[in-house]
Amino acid sequence: MLHIAGSVAADMPAGVMRAMFAARKKVFVDLLKWDVPVLAAEFEVDQFDGQHAHYLVLANEDGAHLGSARLLPTLRPHILDSLYPDLCERPVPRDANIFEITRFCLDRSLSARDRRVVRDTLVVALAEHALANGITAYTAIAEIRWFQQILSFGWHCQPLGLPGPHGGKLLAALRIEIGADTPALLAQAGIAALPTLIGADRAAA
Amino acid sequence: MGILPLDQLTELIDGVASADDLMVAMIGLCATLGARCFAITHHVDVARETHPMRLHNYPDRWAEFYDINALGLSDPVHRASHKTSIGFRWSRMPAMIPLTASDLKVLELGREQGIGDGFTVPANVPGEARGSCSFANEAGTSLADEMLPAAQLAGAFAFETARRLWRVRTLDTEEQPVLTDRQRDCVLLAARGKTDGEIAQLLSVSAETVAVHIKNACERYGVYKRSSLMIRTLFDGTFTFSDIFRR
Repeated sequence: MLHIAGSVAADMPAGVMRAMFAARKKVFVDLLKWDVPVLAAEFEVDQFDGQHAHYLVLANEDGAHLGSARLLPTLRPHILDSLYPDLCERPVPRDANIFEITRFCLDRSLSARDRRVVRDTLVVALAEHALANGITAYTAIAEIRWFQQILSFGWHCQPLGLPGPHGGKLLAALRIEIGADTPALLAQAGIAALPTLIGADRAAA
Repeated sequence: MGILPLDQLTELIDGVASADDLMVAMIGLCATLGARCFAITHHVDVARETHPMRLHNYPDRWAEFYDINALGLSDPVHRASHKTSIGFRWSRMPAMIPLTASDLKVLELGREQGIGDGFTVPANVPGEARGSCSFANEAGTSLADEMLPAAQLAGAFAFETARRLWRVRTLDTEEQPVLTDRQRDCVLLAARGKTDGEIAQLLSVSAETVAVHIKNACERYGVYKRSSLMIRTLFDGTFTFSDIFRR
């Protein structure tokens, strides 16, 4: 079931929200060893979480986390402009209709095959969310291995600058254009949502 | 200030509608980066693939030698690229993988043909054959250090552009698989519900032979299960309903 929280959607159940922050801790702190704060030894929460962030969360029938992503408005401080402006050669994209995709998270408990299905479903959900809400582009920073995967989804990507080393990893910033053709581009690249994951009745307003 | 004009990369992404366009764009990129030639490829044995994804302007003689010897699979550069997700200079290879005597010979032959020094960007998409984009020079000439981030980025976008073009190409020219007589006999009898042992008796061959024929038939169709094979052969007219279900 796809839950969406943020100014355009109804709030999601607190349990789902908590499950997302807990999953983020397992992925970004325990697995990827990011140097980010942890709350109550269980939740990964940073200064960009809050009322201005939007969240897309895929959960199963029991509310358990499958995958999630956080969207940050680019008119407010976000990751690219606040932490990695050097990855952007031209001015950082800032617009009411451009959001930054951050904390794209696939639950560690999933098998490799399920993780890909959830990944694809979340990508399609991001595209549909953009089209439904007038978002014309996403920006994102990715480690170079994940960067290639993002390109492989088939949507229109543009580099924002050269890759640069940060904390022992090679990061790069990109911009993803969302248009009416985006769903077809994703489908052509073999990226499809699993309908049962999205759910017959979404929790979005 | 960027070294690689982002516009040139944008042209690579948006302005390329065919393999020829991509070749032209890559030649321009090589000039900017200081590379003599490039290769974008999936790491497969090209002889066994219907539409191997490969685009390059390496010297012809080297390319021929490469294919005749099916180096696509054993190429030390490719093997090294599976060990990392970041672009690497070929001079780093000895530290990344054990180089055998035949590896060293292959590298030496490449050097003789003008492919001596290079930078390879691994391009690994989960669920697909692994691949890479390489920028190569004659021995003794390397990409400048400050060009490497640009080469990394260009390699990633070039690979994805090639993927996009080859995907369309495969869809457009999907060939119908054709089974041999023996494969056809085995698959038909299996579709009629016979076991491998029964088929073996009817055709006067061993059960193992039957299994091999059916496995090869599966490979021709690119499927892994016999049930998928049955469906495909029914749909493409290899068999008709009456072939299978008549008494």
